[in-house]
Amino acid sequence: MRPFRPALLCLGLLAATVARADFPADAPIEKAVDHFIDAALKDAGVTPAPRADDANLIRRLTLDLVGRVPTVAETKAFVESTDPAKVEKLVDRLLASSGYVRHQANEFNALLMAGSRGGVRDYLREAFAENRPWDQMFRELMLPDESDPKRKQAAEFLRSRVNDLDKVTADVSAIFFGVDISCARCHDHPRVEDWKQDHFFGMKAFLARTFDNGGSLAEREYGQVKFKTVKGQDKVAGFLFLTNAAFDGGVVADPPADVMKKEKERFEALKRDKKPAPPAANSARAKLVEVALQPEQRGFFARSIVNRLWARFYGAGLVQPLDQMHSANLPTHPDLLDWLADDLVAHKYDLKRLTRGLVLSQTYARASRWDQEETASVRRLFARGSVRPLTPTQLAASLKIATTDLGGDLKPADLEKKIETLEAGAAGFASLIEQPGEDFQIGVGEALLFSNGDRVEKEFLVDAADRLVGRLKAIDDPKAVVEAAVWAVLSRGPTEAETTLMAAYLAKRPERKADACRQLVWALLTGAEFRFNY
Amino acid sequence: MRKTHCGSPDHALHRRAFLGAAASLPALGWLTSPAVATELKKQQKRCILLWLAGGASQLETWDPKPGAVTGGPYRAIPTNVPGVHISELMPKMAKRLQHTAIVRSLNTKDGDHGGAAKMMMRGRRDEAVLKYPDLGAVLARELGQADSPVPDYVSFYFATEGRGMAPGASGFLGSRFAPMELYKSNVPEYLRLLDSISGVDHQERADLRDLLSKQFAQGRSSATLDSHNEAYQRVRGLMASEKLFDIEQEPQKVRDRYGRTLFAEQTLIARRLVEAGVPFVRVGRAWWDSHGQNFETHAEMVPELDHVMATLLDDLGERGLLEHTLVITLSEFGRTPQINASLGRDHFASAWSMTLSGCGIKGGSVYGKTDDTGNRVKEGEVGAAQVFATIYEALGIKHDKNYHVGSRPIPLTDPGTKPIAEILA
Repeated sequence: MRPFRPALLCLGLLAATVARADFPADAPIEKAVDHFIDAALKDAGVTPAPRADDANLIRRLTLDLVGRVPTVAETKAFVESTDPAKVEKLVDRLLASSGYVRHQANEFNALLMAGSRGGVRDYLREAFAENRPWDQMFRELMLPDESDPKRKQAAEFLRSRVNDLDKVTADVSAIFFGVDISCARCHDHPRVEDWKQDHFFGMKAFLARTFDNGGSLAEREYGQVKFKTVKGQDKVAGFLFLTNAAFDGGVVADPPADVMKKEKERFEALKRDKKPAPPAANSARAKLVEVALQPEQRGFFARSIVNRLWARFYGAGLVQPLDQMHSANLPTHPDLLDWLADDLVAHKYDLKRLTRGLVLSQTYARASRWDQEETASVRRLFARGSVRPLTPTQLAASLKIATTDLGGDLKPADLEKKIETLEAGAAGFASLIEQPGEDFQIGVGEALLFSNGDRVEKEFLVDAADRLVGRLKAIDDPKAVVEAAVWAVLSRGPTEAETTLMAAYLAKRPERKADACRQLVWALLTGAEFRFNY
Repeated sequence: MRKTHCGSPDHALHRRAFLGAAASLPALGWLTSPAVATELKKQQKRCILLWLAGGASQLETWDPKPGAVTGGPYRAIPTNVPGVHISELMPKMAKRLQHTAIVRSLNTKDGDHGGAAKMMMRGRRDEAVLKYPDLGAVLARELGQADSPVPDYVSFYFATEGRGMAPGASGFLGSRFAPMELYKSNVPEYLRLLDSISGVDHQERADLRDLLSKQFAQGRSSATLDSHNEAYQRVRGLMASEKLFDIEQEPQKVRDRYGRTLFAEQTLIARRLVEAGVPFVRVGRAWWDSHGQNFETHAEMVPELDHVMATLLDDLGERGLLEHTLVITLSEFGRTPQINASLGRDHFASAWSMTLSGCGIKGGSVYGKTDDTGNRVKEGEVGAAQVFATIYEALGIKHDKNYHVGSRPIPLTDPGTKPIAEILA
C-alpha cells in the first residue's frame, strides 16, 4: 500500500543535486531545513501555504514543546507583541520551562515503553532536565546501572521485554535505529534487499545473553543464537549490526559445560541474595552500543532520532514509516536528513538544540489550512503545516488548562507550578485516551465517553467560580460569553460568523445560563479544532 | 485498508443512507447498483461465537469415549445424524445436528490459557511487532457497514476467571474495529443520556459541535481528522441501539424459552444484536477449567450449553436468520483424556473439538477422528488457521485475501492454509 515512489525519488535526487552542493555545515538548523525544503518545492513547482497566524503558531509551539495549549494570557501577550524576535523568545522560554522536561519525558516514554506496563518517566525527567545527550541516554537504557538510584529505572526498558528476546531485538532495532527487522526472523526480507535472516539473528546475538535474574537484569558471558534458515539449514548467528559490520572472531563457541554450570550457579547465588548482577566482562550488549555509535556505523542511530523528532513536529518523517529506514525506502529529502544527522552528531546528540532548530524554521510555521489540492506526493514536500492528533497527556492537560482560570497576573514560576498541578490531576483522564500511532483512528468509544460520560462533566464542565463554565455564566452579554469561551478553549478570537452562531445557541436557552454555557464549552472541547494540533 | 472509508461512490451512497439513521436495515429503495446489492448481501452475514472460556472438555460434549478408560461416567447418545454420537449431556443438540458441523481433530499445541486464547481468537499467533486483529475485528471490518448505526463487534465476558485472557483486539485494523466490551452490565457504558441533559440539548449540542468541526476541516486533510468526525457521527445511532441490549424488550415467552441464566440472557441479546445487523457477537461463558471435579462441572455446564445453543439455533431458524448467521462453539483448548487424582481433566490441546453451525456450513457433518482413548488425532488434523479459513469461507469471505500493513501484505490466514472443504456447504 505504500509502493516505491520513483517519481518522488527522482524529485528528491534532483533537488538534492541542486541543493546539496555547498550548503554550509555550520549554518543554523532552521536555515538548513528551509533551504532543502524550499529547493524541493521549487523543483516540483509547488507553492507552499502561507505562514500560520500568531494565535495558531503559539498554540502549535506550546503543544509541541510543553505538551499543552497556551493560557489566554500567554496567547494574547504573544499575539499583541510587536517584538520582531518574539517567536524565538517564545521558543526559548518554552524550552527553558519545566513543562518541556515533563513533555519530553511523556513523549519518549511512549516511544520506549509502548505496550508495556512499566514506565521510565522518572528516569527520562532526570535526563531531559539536564539535556542529557541522546547517545548517553541510549547507553543508559541499554546498559543500565541498577546500583545508581537516579538511573536504575532505565532498566525497565529492557526488563519489561526481556522474557521475549525476539521482541527485544525487534524493539531495539525499530526504536533506536528506525529498522523493522522482524520480517527477517523467518526468512530473508521478501522486499527489502538489505535485511536477511543473518541480520535479525545477528542483532539478536547482541541481546540474547540478557535475562531477568530474579528481578534484576543480568547478562551471561557467553551464549549462541541458533536459527534455522528457510532452506532448513542450521546456523549459528554471528554478531552482525545493521550496517553489515561484523566482528572478527565471528561466532564464538560456547565454553565447556562445567564453565557454563559455574556461571549458572553464580547467578543463582546472586538471585538468592537478591543482589544485582555486575555487568558482564564480555558484554554482548555493550558491543552493540559501541558499534552503533562508531563513526562509520552511527548513521542509523543519528538518522533515526532525527527522523522521529522531525515526524513529531512536521507530521510525517523524512522517511515513512519511521521504522522502515532502508535502501529501498529513501527519504523524501535525503540531503536534509543527512545534514541534520551530521549536525546532531557534531553537536554531541543535543536533542534540545535539534528541537529548537526544527521549530524555528519557516517550514514549521506554515498554516495547515490551504485550499490547494494535495496529492500524496505533494504532502511529502511539507508545503503546509500538518494536522496531528493530541496525545493523551496533551489532550488531558489541555482540557484542564482550557477550563481553569489561570489569572493573568500570576508570576511565571507560580503559573508553571499551577500548570504542573493541573497536569498531574489530568493523568487519570489521560489514561482513558488512546496513544496515537501511525494511521491513527479515533474510535467511537472516545466519542461516547465525551458525549455521555459524567467524568467529562465533573472534570471539565463544572460550574465553579474558578472554572470556565462558572466564569462564563457570570457574563451578561452572549457575544462576550462566546468571545471568552473561544479564547479560552481554542486559543484565538471567534470569527463574526462563529459569534453569531454561538450567541444564537445561548439565546435559545435564556433561563438556563449554566446549562447553555456548559453545552457551548462542550461543543468547543469536543470539536475537531481542540482535538488536533494544527 | 486502515481508512474508515474507501472514497468510492458506493461509500457515498452508504453515508447518505445511514448517517443518523437508527434503523437496523436500510430501505430497499436505493438499491441501484449491483455492487451495492452485493454489499448488502455481504452485510447480512453475521456471527455469534459462544466462547467456552477455560477449556470445555470434548469428552463430555462433542467427542465422547464411553467405555474407554478415559471416558468418564457419561454415556454417548445417538443423534439425528446416523452414526454420530455425542455426550448424553447434550440431548437437545443430539436432536438437531442437521445445521451443525463438528470438528473433532483440533491439534493446536498450546495449553496455556492466555497464549492459547489469544491464538484461538485470532487464528494465529501475534508477532513481536505485529498485532493481528481477532475474529470479531476482522468480521466487523468485512461484514460491517461503513457508518454503522449499530456496533460492529460486541463481546460479553462477566466472569472474573480468565478476565484479560483474550480481550477483544482489533490489532492493526485500528480503533474503528475495536469491540464494545461488556464486563459488568449487559448495556454498554456511555450509551445512555446523562440525567443532567435533555435529549434535545444533547442533539443540538452535538449539531453545534459537528458544524464547528466541519468548518475546521475545510482546507485541511487528514485521515485521523476524518475518523474523529466519523466517531461523533456514530454516537446517536449507537445510543439508539441501546434498546438492543435491553432484554426486557423481549416477550416473556422468549425470555423463558432461553432461560434466565446469565449465559442464556446474553445469548438472547446476541440474537437481538445480529438480527439488527451487528456482524459479530461473542458471548463468553466461563469457567470450564475443570482441573478438579470435571464431571460435576460439566454436568452443570454442558446441559446449559446444550439448551442455550439449541434454543439459539431454533430461534435463528424460525426468524430466517440461520442461513445468514454462523454460530461457533470454541474454547482455547480441550481437556485431557487422562483423569487426574481430583477427578479432573487438565489442559489438552492435542486432540479436541469445536463446532460450526448455520451460514455456509454443511450441517450434519463430522470432520476428523481421534483415537479410541481420545489421546491423539487419527485423521484430519487441523489447527487454528484451518478453522479460521473455514469460518471466513462460510461467511463468504476469501480466506486468503490480503490486508496490508505498510507495504507488507497480510493474508487473513497464514499462507498455504486451506479451509476444511468437507464441512462447507
